Amino acid sequence: MPNTKRYLTTGGVGFAVGTFFLWNYPNLGLGAALLGGLVIAALCLLYSAPLPDMIKAGLIAGMFGAVMTIVYGTHKPGVAIIAGMLSGLGAGLLAFQRSPQANPKKAAILGAEAGAIAGAWTGLALFVMAFVIAPAAGISAGDFAEHLSETVILADTLGLGSDILILLFAFGFSTLTGALLGAAACAARSLPLRPNIPLLAVIALPVLLIPLIDRAGNLLLLDALIPIYIFILLALGLNIVVGYAGLLDLGYAAFFAIGAYTTAMLSSPHLGINLSFWLVIWVAAAVAAIAGLTLGAPTLPLRGDYLAIVTLGFGEIVPILFRSLGGGPPGGTLTLRFFGMPIGIEQVDLTGGNKGINPISPPHLPLIGDFEPSNKIPWYYLLIVIMGLAIFFINRLRDSRQGRAWMAMREDELAADAMGINVVRTKLLAFSMGAMFSGFGGAFYGAFIGAIFPSSFDFSVSIILLCMVILGGLGNMTGVIVGGLLIQGADKMFIPKGAELFRRIAETKARAEDTSTVGVSALQDLTQQRLLLFGIVLVVMMLVRPEGLLPNERRKAELHPDDDTINSNSVAAEAEADPSLAA
Amino acid sequence: MAPLLQARGITKRFGGLTAVSDVSFEIEKGSIVGLIGPNGAGKTTFFNMITGLYTPSDGDMIFNGQRINGTKPSEVTKLGIGRTFQNIRLFAHMTALENVLVGQHCRMHTGLLGTLFRTPSMRAEEKAARQKAFALLEYVGLGRNSADEMAKNLPYGDQRRLEVARALATDPKLLLLDEPTAGMNPKETDALTELIYRVRDERDLTVLLIEHDMKVVMGISERVTVLDRGIKISEGLPREVQTDPKVVEAYLGTGHAAKGKGGGAPVFDKA
Ligand SMILES: Nc1ncnc2c1ncn2[C@@H]1O[C@H](COP(=O)(O)OP(=O)(O)O)[C@@H](O)[C@H]1O
Ligand SMILES: [Mg+2]
Repeated sequence: MPNTKRYLTTGGVGFAVGTFFLWNYPNLGLGAALLGGLVIAALCLLYSAPLPDMIKAGLIAGMFGAVMTIVYGTHKPGVAIIAGMLSGLGAGLLAFQRSPQANPKKAAILGAEAGAIAGAWTGLALFVMAFVIAPAAGISAGDFAEHLSETVILADTLGLGSDILILLFAFGFSTLTGALLGAAACAARSLPLRPNIPLLAVIALPVLLIPLIDRAGNLLLLDALIPIYIFILLALGLNIVVGYAGLLDLGYAAFFAIGAYTTAMLSSPHLGINLSFWLVIWVAAAVAAIAGLTLGAPTLPLRGDYLAIVTLGFGEIVPILFRSLGGGPPGGTLTLRFFGMPIGIEQVDLTGGNKGINPISPPHLPLIGDFEPSNKIPWYYLLIVIMGLAIFFINRLRDSRQGRAWMAMREDELAADAMGINVVRTKLLAFSMGAMFSGFGGAFYGAFIGAIFPSSFDFSVSIILLCMVILGGLGNMTGVIVGGLLIQGADKMFIPKGAELFRRIAETKARAEDTSTVGVSALQDLTQQRLLLFGIVLVVMMLVRPEGLLPNERRKAELHPDDDTINSNSVAAEAEADPSLAA
Repeated sequence: MAPLLQARGITKRFGGLTAVSDVSFEIEKGSIVGLIGPNGAGKTTFFNMITGLYTPSDGDMIFNGQRINGTKPSEVTKLGIGRTFQNIRLFAHMTALENVLVGQHCRMHTGLLGTLFRTPSMRAEEKAARQKAFALLEYVGLGRNSADEMAKNLPYGDQRRLEVARALATDPKLLLLDEPTAGMNPKETDALTELIYRVRDERDLTVLLIEHDMKVVMGISERVTVLDRGIKISEGLPREVQTDPKVVEAYLGTGHAAKGKGGGAPVFDKA
């Protein structure tokens, strides 16, 4: 097998990276780290293994469902239902991606098989939970099954008595929903429609159902999902700048901050201005867009590394500015000297300095009233609407004269200029459009959290967003969403919940052996580990798959030069290439 | 009739190097003019001064009665000068169709709001642009199935044609072709020459052509201008230029005579 070496390398690298990273996690310990490393290695191997696409897709997507079920399982076994649905959907789409089908019926069968495998994997995880992991964490299999039957409402009404029956029912349910969603997704994808409304409907279905299942099972998933979605919205905006226009922006969090602070200043008791959220979100987007222009203007002559450095500086300056606009002691004056003449300016506390602005008024709707922090459902749907609109409009931008100008500029700025594209306008438009979407994100974030602090917008935010864009695939919105779900899912769901699970196991063990629980440390500051993860992801991606998980088809060829056939003549032409334009 | 393009004492210095020195010449509307000279003679530099990529150090460039020194390249294109590049500069990771659509950018008008709300006029413009792009692809001999191919993946000869299509998409009055047959095999060269003939015959265009392949230049050009080391050394009908002793010497002097292409002497290159 010619690729054995590649598989071994991939798996080995995955294992080493996974173990090393997880071991660094204060709560996990070596055993758990090795286990996590194995999962990651298995994923890497699966991805490149010579299996039929359908099985491969099912196994990979199912792995996510299974891990989600396991890390949430002790508290919330009902997560398995959502995990089964999502992994089925993911498996269907992945299978189609790998072996496209023109015939809807064949596609549906492909999707059903992949989805069923994924759903079954997820269901299988429930048995592992019930008999291995839950008992280790101090929950008997019986309690686990009972808890499960409470969330799988149908199981309760059917009056399934025995634990095994409940587990089997949940297993079947997960497999079935997985298969159905996988089949529906694949069948929809095979339709030659543009825009593909059925496909959007199939994807929207679980996304829209999540809050309802979440409420029924009291799963509290939305607490994690909403911040994840906010970051994906930001990444979509960043993708305009970096992915479409090819301008490396390392300070994108600044626009997020500007959107959030605009909202906070205009919609809180802090300055006594309390405008409606529905107005403020537009103002925030407009202010962010103008800030994008302001940053864009001085960077116009810069390219590549130089641009990155300037944007990085901008990203650092903005939070510092918001920090220092907090003013000094009340009623204090700031003395400036203007040609030697002292001018006293009364210091106003605009931004609350380090303490930030708190509280920020929530949105208000006639029937719902004020959005409550305790009820996440309206927030979730509001965010879905914002994201839906963002995706819709970004799509339109991409498939237009403007979008083509961005891409032409990314490909070859000089040639774009010579083809009649005003490079200045095109760059500024990219900066301001990208910034605008993070303005929406910032406004929502401010209102949702209800308070903002300058520390929420530091450099690491820009880097995480960049990681999401690069992992998924520069310039491809689907890729950015997938990359965002993976990185943010790991960051906000899998790893914290996994750490919690392992802490419980350690505590249970300590109690059983009657040793002290000292040494089972509480969740510590995760920042360092997160950055480590993102750094590793970036390095590994650049080595293994520089075009991202779901590459924009247009970029794929460039990054694997050995794969494509170079016409021998072009070599001759390059030799004659003209020095003046080669730069 | 006033000439379409007029260079008056154009000079370009790069530090100590004078790449183009006091060159004056004119291009009549509707003609095809060849610009030849050994490697490094300053031909591409001259092109770059016409298209605004370089600003002349001295002299005036007049297009259609308007002085265009120092005008931005995108503005020059808008005025009606389209070009190709010596070393192909397509948008490699965009499809052939998209490349031609980008060429039409400066002739389209939809603004940001029109794009976001996909107004009827935007749809109409987009549709017309696509039709025109398909027609242009067909015109240069790239079939419909090349349209969705990434530019980078097209065969070399087709990439050259695509560059011509992209330049034509800007609706130029003056088309500048910088060594369009460079690096091509004889078959591709013949096909591209035939395309240039068609562009001249069927489109209301003026063409300025840099070419090393003398067979192409001499066959196609109505007038030929010869540069050597930045200086215009000869000008006239192809036949006159071909036998001009200064030209023969310039080409022989570079030591490329035997190689034919890429600096071959016009007189000896009968290939
Ligand atoms: N941007 C530049 N900076 C410095 N020298 C240049 C630049 N562009 C061209 N030259 C020099 O000008 C001379 C003419 O080059 P060019 O116009 O490309 O010649 P040709 O196209 O006739 O082969 C060469 O010596 C080249 O090195
Ligand atoms: Mg040249």
